[in-house]
Amino acid sequence: MNQFGKILKFELKGYLRNKAFVGITIFLVVAIAIVMFIPNIISAFQSDEEGDLSPTDLPTMLVYAEDETLSAIVKEYFTNAFVDYNVKVAEGSIDKLKNDIIAGNAECAFVMNSASSYTYYVKNLSMYDSNTAMADTVLQEVYRINAMVQNGLTPEQAGEIMSVQIESDTQTLGKDQIQNFFYTYIMIFALYMVILLYGQMVATNVATEKSSRAMEVLVTSAKPTSMMFGKVLASCIAGFSQLVLIFGTAILLYNVNKEALSNPLIASIFDIPIELFIYLIVFFVLGFLIYAFMFGAIGSTASKLEDINTSVMPITFLFIIAFMVVMFSMSSGSVDNTAMLVCSYIPFTSPMAMFTRICMSTVAWYEIAISIAILIGSTVGIGVLSAKIYRVGVLLYGMPPKFSNIMKTVFKKQ
Amino acid sequence: MVLELRSIDKSFGEKEVLKGVSFVAEGGKAFGLLGRNGAGKTTSIRILMNVFSANGGEVLIDGKPIDYDKIGIGYLPEERGLYPKKLIIDQLVYFAELKGMSTKDAIRAVDYWLGRLGMSEYRNKKLDTLSKGNQQKIQLITALAHDPDIVILDEPFSGLDPVNAMLLKDVVKEQISKGKIVLFSSHQMSYIEEFCDSIAIINAGKVAISGDLREIKRTYPRDKIVVNTQAPEKIKADLRDTCTEREDGTLLIQLASPDQKQEMMKQLVENYDIDEIKVFEPSLNDIFVEYAGAQV
Repeated sequence: MNQFGKILKFELKGYLRNKAFVGITIFLVVAIAIVMFIPNIISAFQSDEEGDLSPTDLPTMLVYAEDETLSAIVKEYFTNAFVDYNVKVAEGSIDKLKNDIIAGNAECAFVMNSASSYTYYVKNLSMYDSNTAMADTVLQEVYRINAMVQNGLTPEQAGEIMSVQIESDTQTLGKDQIQNFFYTYIMIFALYMVILLYGQMVATNVATEKSSRAMEVLVTSAKPTSMMFGKVLASCIAGFSQLVLIFGTAILLYNVNKEALSNPLIASIFDIPIELFIYLIVFFVLGFLIYAFMFGAIGSTASKLEDINTSVMPITFLFIIAFMVVMFSMSSGSVDNTAMLVCSYIPFTSPMAMFTRICMSTVAWYEIAISIAILIGSTVGIGVLSAKIYRVGVLLYGMPPKFSNIMKTVFKKQ
Repeated sequence: MVLELRSIDKSFGEKEVLKGVSFVAEGGKAFGLLGRNGAGKTTSIRILMNVFSANGGEVLIDGKPIDYDKIGIGYLPEERGLYPKKLIIDQLVYFAELKGMSTKDAIRAVDYWLGRLGMSEYRNKKLDTLSKGNQQKIQLITALAHDPDIVILDEPFSGLDPVNAMLLKDVVKEQISKGKIVLFSSHQMSYIEEFCDSIAIINAGKVAISGDLREIKRTYPRDKIVVNTQAPEKIKADLRDTCTEREDGTLLIQLASPDQKQEMMKQLVENYDIDEIKVFEPSLNDIFVEYAGAQV
């Protein structure tokens, strides 16, 4: 136990002395701080500009129809509908109107062929151009009101019919997927990044000791279990404190800037319920540990640092598949599909799958308990196994040995 | 204190690396573990240090199974290397702590050894800023700082200049005089011959010969005479087939039996211009080649 503490201390000190590690942490904290202040910065600029905006600064939208009454009506409705445009009735021919658009005097034009048919002219059609959709709605309304008036209703009655408002209220009895989507997404992504990043660090750390031959002395001085658990827990503590720093900064600054960040989407990210937060930590720590142990074991079998990338490939693939399943299920909206149900009990995928299901669906407590129990058991098992692989792996030089051979050696010993 | 390895077997997969290796090393004496590359020296050392468990056999201290919590072992591996990017003081203290020392004791011991080996100025430098020989001295501290009962030195002299080799010799002699078991593994026979009272030669996983070095030498028949002379040609011409010239220019004379030793010496001294004359004793190198060279 004493030895484990010494190793943990030494490894942690290594992270704190690592300039890249400290640098990245500071960079991320600063980046988060800037992001959290962006609404304030933008609004500071906007308040100056808003006063200067006059109708003449808005882009021009032309309306043209053979029938002058039609063009007048359309202009009136479009002026109300397209508040971002300065709507004008075009003068002259269609050719002049086209030239105006090409020359940049007007941004776009609606040429009415009839009350229910038009041609839309625009120079460059933007991906986000929704003018035709808006025009369709407006023209439909105009057409319907006209039809109703022709059938004996007063224009007021017709207007009332058209503008009826439906009142609705949604009561969520289970989980609100829309609200939970974003923080689940962010947490899954953070889990993904941190596990891959720190997993690689653990693997590299072990392989560096091996390739620098520091291992020769280490392996005679410390128990492999102490070495493995010390290293992995040190990386876990380092990773976790990094996250706490980054998210802590985010939460702190969110509360400082709460008014400026009134966007409901951002608010939904920070409104994570406390029990979900606890689940998050449980799954995060266990998921981190189980992968870090595997990465450590793999690192011990590589003789050279260059071998690491190919050696860790199977684990990385396993992890990416888990990530993909979760991400696709999340975006499809059905987080309780068969793949997710299976994944939420497999220890390598459950940290992400089960956490997502808890966030975005209704999961019975015993299902969660079983999943966590399997995960804890497997983490300890993988930890002990990885220590055994470590002991065999660290003194093998040359080509990385076959997995089956290592397993044979490991189990033969017991 | 007596360290004994008793009929140790070890195989990796199908490959039998050690086949019943046994030897005895005593405290206050240096022991040389010899063998060609791949003979099983490092594996024997690792089993002795409990890095591997043996398939069969025992490691005993004073006749009882070794207790690794009580018996301290210091090891200078043949494959040198520590943390290249970490401060020397940090890693040396870390290694001493891993061996069970308190931080305070570890710092004190490391500082003593840095001073003893003339390395104090590098205390707060990174390891990879040092020359190879100096890195090796740093590594030696990891083997000695925790004051172990058994010191295992694998090729300790390789890469050291003569001055540093002298320094290391003094340190090793001091360790021996403290009653520790000092175990050498080396290919440099001259150092083994200088330090070690007893040896074991391992060949293909078996101990080919082990025991007191002087006794081993005495087992060779005393039927050869080495002559250093100003007139080698004359002697060679007179003795013909029984006389051969050695690489260093001395003559080796083969006798029909050891009894003729006295008579032959007398004759040589009376008849020729002789500088030096002695009975031939095999060097450790000769013994090594004889026992480790064959059977492979």
